[in-house]
Amino acid sequence: MRKSWIAFATGSVLALAACNSEPEATPEQAGNGEDTIELAEFPDRPYWGDTHLHTDNSVDAFGFGVRLGPEDALRFARGETVTATTGSEAKLSRPLDFLVIADHSDALGATRRLYDAPRWYVDWVINDPTVLRWYDMMHESPEQSTLAIAELITAAADGTVPEALADPEKAQEGTEDIWTTHLGLIDRYNEPGVFTALGGFEWTAMPDGNNLHRVVMFRDGSARTLEVLPFPGINSTVEQLWDYMDAYRTATGGEVLAIPHNSNLSNGLMFEMTLADGSPMTAEYAARRAANEPVVEVTQIKGDSETHPFLSPNDEMAGFGVKGWELGNLPLTHRATPDMYAGSYVRSALLRGLSLEAQLGVNPYAFGMVGSTDSHTALATGDEDNFYGKHTGNEPSYKDRANHSQNLGTREGRFGWHYLAGGYAAAWARGNTRAEIFDAFKRREVYATTGPRMTVRVFGGFDFTAQDWDGDWVRAGYTRGVPMGGELQESGNAPSFLISALKDPDGANLDRVQVVKGWLDASGEAQERVYDVVWSDMDSRARSGGSVPAVGDTVNREDATYTNTIGAAELRTTWIDPDYTPGSSAFYYVRVLEIPTPRWTLFDAVRFGITLSEDAMADAVAQERAYTSPIWLKTKPAG
Amino acid sequence: MTLPGWTREPLVHFLVAGAALYIALTWGGTPVDPASRVIDVGAEEQAQIALTFERTMGRAPTDAELDAAIDRYVRDEVLYREALRLGLDQGDAVVRQRMVSKMDMSAGLAAEAADPDEATLRAYFDANASRYSGGSVVTFEQAFFESQLAARSARASGAVSGEAISLPASLIDVPEREVQSRFGEQFSRELAALQPDDGWQGPVQSGFGWHLVKLKDRTALPGDFEAVRDRVQNDWRTDEMAARKARAFEILRSAYRVEIDR
Repeated sequence: MRKSWIAFATGSVLALAACNSEPEATPEQAGNGEDTIELAEFPDRPYWGDTHLHTDNSVDAFGFGVRLGPEDALRFARGETVTATTGSEAKLSRPLDFLVIADHSDALGATRRLYDAPRWYVDWVINDPTVLRWYDMMHESPEQSTLAIAELITAAADGTVPEALADPEKAQEGTEDIWTTHLGLIDRYNEPGVFTALGGFEWTAMPDGNNLHRVVMFRDGSARTLEVLPFPGINSTVEQLWDYMDAYRTATGGEVLAIPHNSNLSNGLMFEMTLADGSPMTAEYAARRAANEPVVEVTQIKGDSETHPFLSPNDEMAGFGVKGWELGNLPLTHRATPDMYAGSYVRSALLRGLSLEAQLGVNPYAFGMVGSTDSHTALATGDEDNFYGKHTGNEPSYKDRANHSQNLGTREGRFGWHYLAGGYAAAWARGNTRAEIFDAFKRREVYATTGPRMTVRVFGGFDFTAQDWDGDWVRAGYTRGVPMGGELQESGNAPSFLISALKDPDGANLDRVQVVKGWLDASGEAQERVYDVVWSDMDSRARSGGSVPAVGDTVNREDATYTNTIGAAELRTTWIDPDYTPGSSAFYYVRVLEIPTPRWTLFDAVRFGITLSEDAMADAVAQERAYTSPIWLKTKPAG
Repeated sequence: MTLPGWTREPLVHFLVAGAALYIALTWGGTPVDPASRVIDVGAEEQAQIALTFERTMGRAPTDAELDAAIDRYVRDEVLYREALRLGLDQGDAVVRQRMVSKMDMSAGLAAEAADPDEATLRAYFDANASRYSGGSVVTFEQAFFESQLAARSARASGAVSGEAISLPASLIDVPEREVQSRFGEQFSRELAALQPDDGWQGPVQSGFGWHLVKLKDRTALPGDFEAVRDRVQNDWRTDEMAARKARAFEILRSAYRVEIDR
């Protein structure tokens, strides 16, 4: 009796409201943005975005406690104020230009549905002791809820998710509803020329706990994306994901790409020299991988995957964001050993790509780089002084979050301070539309930063000189060379590069600009070398013993401040490869380092009066950085 | 379907819902009385149990399943009432918070699904004109100097060429938000304070250094309702939900006398 009356009461409210139709986006908003705005002749500025954000539709994010959904996420990214789950008002100091909400395709919305279900239903209908225990934990307290989700992640990694939660039919029903609503919502927030909301999801394959996750990102609006559902990751292979993407292209005429991330947690499986079953890599696999995955996410909250000191012993700046994450796979069910690192980090993957190309004629690992957050709070925060945490369980209201064990409560070895504040993606585009942003990713004219918005430009060619800076060097770059992400065909001359790095206008000065070169030597061995090509105060910081002296450190540990009294506002140079050898294929990417600045942990310590652990304090200051997509020097026409 | 205007009034929705709840709880509501030891699983309750089953499983329950579901319902109801009798709902922060948020959500529900009419949106647009004014676009030239002194003497000498930096020397009709994105917050703020003039102004400081600026034009863009219609609607919905929650709360709150010892 009581229930039906309440149902009636609620129903009457809804019935009155439902007399009007659902709001709809304009055709310009709902499409891919072609022909909606005037475009620049060349990409004229980087557009800033996050391609990897979770909301309460993600099975783990909800369990970790987030109660903000996609609409809050979109509003926040656009620069508006929203109230975070733990109650504080949150706002970005500067809005983002684009956003991909990438909720996990597996069990989309499932924890929210489970949580909202009556207990008798969970107990009797679902009738699974594990699910019931998780249900009770989720309702008991935020801490217990986080533990429940940690168990769920481990179960997903081990392939032991209870049947009741993994039931594909039920999951599909829930997914359909959420996907339809979601695509309508992002169309409404997509505003060509102002803010781009791209459709996407996260494909969360995790064989044995080893992270093979990809963010899948669509170029199109709901007219096309409604034709498909997010593709489940559990128990599927990456080849099946590519089949799904091919089917989408064929059925709709649209475009889609996939962005691997957290290779650092893959225990060597993300960038293998062989196929997954250990058999030799094939040209077919390599070609499909290159076509579907033009970009990887190199840096995010769960660490940085550029390189590991073990792989790059001569790179004194290697090792940023490696601590904690290097220990093993995502749930730390398997420890990593150094022989796995080459398959887990991006620089070594780029090198493996050269080797594989020499064997197969196709480079499977010819990708560009972006950063993103992977935030599970629906808040795309990338700045150190405004870090809302990996998930709701370590939002700033948990004041000593930096010192906490943050391995989801299950294992030893990872702490709050190991989290980075997250990165952002920069896309060189002619305008801010879905098509322009997507196409920049497709042609790899994108770069990664660990959060700051420095403007980095690179052109590669064969005849660039210092005089080019005096004229319209951007036009020169595009007409006489290729931008980041491009390919040069060997000409017999050493390649030359126009490299420009401008500091974040509201951030820290720059320490130095480096070129990271990888190549195959005469015997076919992959080699790498890092060149300091331009740095601040070059007169007073002369190279000694082959290396550039450290820029200094102005960070005050007592109040988490720094000054721009060291470093430079802009660093630019024309660089010609001094070690060019004809006949050797190579890649060149640029790494830009800021002067040392406080990490989020130091801001926390000062704001909340927390004493950081000794290890955390030792890591409380860092040099944030940008990684550009490489330019490849190819020795023969692309296969 | 056309309804009289008052039916769209959120306050009416709230009152209707509130009245229905009140009726349900006072007249129809013996089952919630923790003192009652009668559990009446009538046709209506059974239909509700069957419906819940059907919604989640996508099919009607078999007789055995329904019986089991009823048993389960009875078990829950017994335990629920005993829990109330023991006062287990008291002092439980989770229960309390969940009931609070349910109450709060119910007031915002209608706004979430509503599609406001044109007049409502236009009124909202007008009331928040500054949010939707297309902002301004500016046309200016800038010359960069690392030091303030160099900038000042360049301006005094009249020969302004500036030093090398990878920033555009001339920008035409760019939105102010783009100026902020490329030149930073301080520059953008100081530029906004300048008036268009044929001569060099400044120096204006940015995160890069100092700039002499020739501000040629600033045009305020009129707000275009059609262009931002969806944004207006999104914002209206967010505001409306907050407002309905606040109004609903006010009504409930007015029935309480709160005494706070100071």
